[in-house]
Amino acid sequence: MKKIAFYLISILVIMSMILAACNKEEATPEPTQEVVAPVATEEPMEPETGAIDCKGAQAGDVITMFYQWSGAEEERLNQILQPLIDACGVVIQPESSRDQALLDTRVQAGTPPDIAFFNVTQLEQYQEFLVPMTDLGVNDANYPDYWREIGTVGGDWLGLPVKADPKTLIWYSPVVFEAFGYTIPTTWDELDALVEQMVADGNVPWSMGLESGDATGWTGSDFIQDILLVTQGPDYVMGLIDGTIPYDDPGVREAYEIYGAWAADPAYTVGGAQGTLETGFLDAIYLVFQDPPQAMMVKQSGFAGGEVAAQFPELQYGTDYDFFGVPGAQGLQGGSDWMMAFTSTPAVQALVAYLSSDAGGQAWAAAGFDLTPNTAGLSAYTDPALLNKAEILAGTSGFTPDIGDSIPGGFGSAEWTAIISFLGGGDLDAALAAAAAVQTEALIPTP
Amino acid sequence: MAQGPTPQIMRQGRLAPWMYLAPAILVMGFFIVYPMFTTIYLSFQNKDGTQAASTTCVEGRPCWGVFENYRYALTAELDPSSLQSIWQTFWLSSYGNTIKWILLMVTGTVSVGLLFAVLAERTKYETLAKSIIFMPMAISFVGAGVIWGFVYNYGAGVEQVGLLNAIITGLGFEPVAFISTRGINTIALIVVGIWIWSGFCMTVLAAALKSVPEEILEAARVDGAGEWKVFLSVMVPIIMPTITVVVTTMVINVLKLFDIVYVMTGGNYDTEVIANRMYTEMYINFNTGRGTAVAVILVILIIPFIYMNIRRFLEQEAMR
Repeated sequence: MKKIAFYLISILVIMSMILAACNKEEATPEPTQEVVAPVATEEPMEPETGAIDCKGAQAGDVITMFYQWSGAEEERLNQILQPLIDACGVVIQPESSRDQALLDTRVQAGTPPDIAFFNVTQLEQYQEFLVPMTDLGVNDANYPDYWREIGTVGGDWLGLPVKADPKTLIWYSPVVFEAFGYTIPTTWDELDALVEQMVADGNVPWSMGLESGDATGWTGSDFIQDILLVTQGPDYVMGLIDGTIPYDDPGVREAYEIYGAWAADPAYTVGGAQGTLETGFLDAIYLVFQDPPQAMMVKQSGFAGGEVAAQFPELQYGTDYDFFGVPGAQGLQGGSDWMMAFTSTPAVQALVAYLSSDAGGQAWAAAGFDLTPNTAGLSAYTDPALLNKAEILAGTSGFTPDIGDSIPGGFGSAEWTAIISFLGGGDLDAALAAAAAVQTEALIPTP
Repeated sequence: MAQGPTPQIMRQGRLAPWMYLAPAILVMGFFIVYPMFTTIYLSFQNKDGTQAASTTCVEGRPCWGVFENYRYALTAELDPSSLQSIWQTFWLSSYGNTIKWILLMVTGTVSVGLLFAVLAERTKYETLAKSIIFMPMAISFVGAGVIWGFVYNYGAGVEQVGLLNAIITGLGFEPVAFISTRGINTIALIVVGIWIWSGFCMTVLAAALKSVPEEILEAARVDGAGEWKVFLSVMVPIIMPTITVVVTTMVINVLKLFDIVYVMTGGNYDTEVIANRMYTEMYINFNTGRGTAVAVILVILIIPFIYMNIRRFLEQEAMR
């Protein structure tokens, strides 16, 4: 009797395991992954002969390179560099690793690569080892002033911005907008009016879900940073990052209140405060594009397009889903990659000159490797979503990194905690003061 | 038992016991003692272990010198403006929540475990019933957290995907945001813990119940004791040592509890517990000093219960 029961149970357990295995949901995608845009590999770039200045580099000259990209990303970089290799015969010796410590060790040991592609913070970290872009024959006409300012440390322009991925975007459904007669707002006031119009029509304007496991809150901090870019501008955001402006400043408080007025009200966002707190950030995207839509807009980075495409394969980019830049934003927020040079060999000079040239910018844009800050690239995007983003980038006058990511020592999670506690009905002043304390503490220079 | 002088060959030198112990001491020393001392040392250092913790003090703020990380670990979550606010914030802090967990989860698991142990023994399908109760033990905490995350899911939209909220709305009530509503959420998480661990308590207690001599129970029944009386006055006292062991083991388990909170709320919405806070300081804020200080406090809190468990064990050994 006992034996039979035991067998029954083991069978039950095994069956349930099999069932569970079959039912496996697809893994949650990384929020940072970008939509893989179609790459026109069959049509290699045709550089205009003579457009590439080799700066006296000889065939066989080696450029050692360190970057974080691998796989499809690395292939795109290779595609971008191919014209230079073809024209000058330089040899690229790449090393791909996401381990910044490896680069640190290399630099400290005095054996840095010729070229490193990394984040903007590395410019300051390695400033004494870097060769200014202006000594390497950079074509500065292709870069707006704000990019040069971000890359300038101690008076020298030390890094070339090569790749940018802005996330100051609002996703919406053009079909739905058309059905209700909504137009894309171009100023913050128009956005505000549109939101009120939607509420008057009985539509819920926003889907704001910010649940994301132990990173819950990041969609909220992105939204608040975008509001700050509208109300205060990029210099203010940079002030928060370097600590000259405390996080409990009235400007930040105002941004929280603007955000909270929407995010905590069930008339303005799906589910009100509880809905914002408990809806997963991916579900928040889906709510806007499901049929019938439960909200009109979702503020989310570029990856949202890929999520919509995966969840609703029948929807078409451009007609069923599209995005516009946060209206009235005086700058964008997002990630950027920077090229820095540790040597000034002719081959390195040729590389800097090439990537900052019209041909280099166009090659970058054509490869569809996110956006290039090089203004010459604008004409060369083939992917419509990238082109839309590039136009938003072209129209802006500032670029800021994520505040939370840029301040070390747990400020990111302190920021999220402040948002969660504020939405949960906690005292805003206390929440901001707590985050400001972490900000101050994190920015005390370590002796 | 030994009689007469021990033959020379049986005698052990002073070194021999140490030789036997050496492998264990080496392994324990390397994997337990050394990390423990390093942890204690790091808890008096700054965030990357390069300088003493006292250097992280900020002018004009309270500072406990080398115990600065402990000041942070013990007081950072409290609002010191008044006694009342300290009391209120304490019960939402990681320490207050851990106390809630201990009180509710230990009583919950032990009483549910005991109940099922007693009841299952009286059914025909004892093995089957026990297996079903025990099954959650086979699920990892992370898995259980994900499963219950769906059960508690609060749909912002029209449809309620979460089982509980589907039932609640089906009955015509408003859905409840279990995870983000203070007061409900910690209890909701404790229910998950009870669901997982009841099976363990049941198994151990059922084994103890089996060892209760049938004659004593018979005698009690013959003397006219009802089933309740038999249970409370005969069974429970006899298995009391086992109950104590189960309780202390559960307390240790709960103090170390991390996974459920990490998976289901990430410590947000005032559901932080000590072990999760340790992780947050260490691997999210990258503050080694504070993380290890929380770890040391956790160890200090666990030690009394380990001591009780060991004493119990030694007493039992002595009785044999």
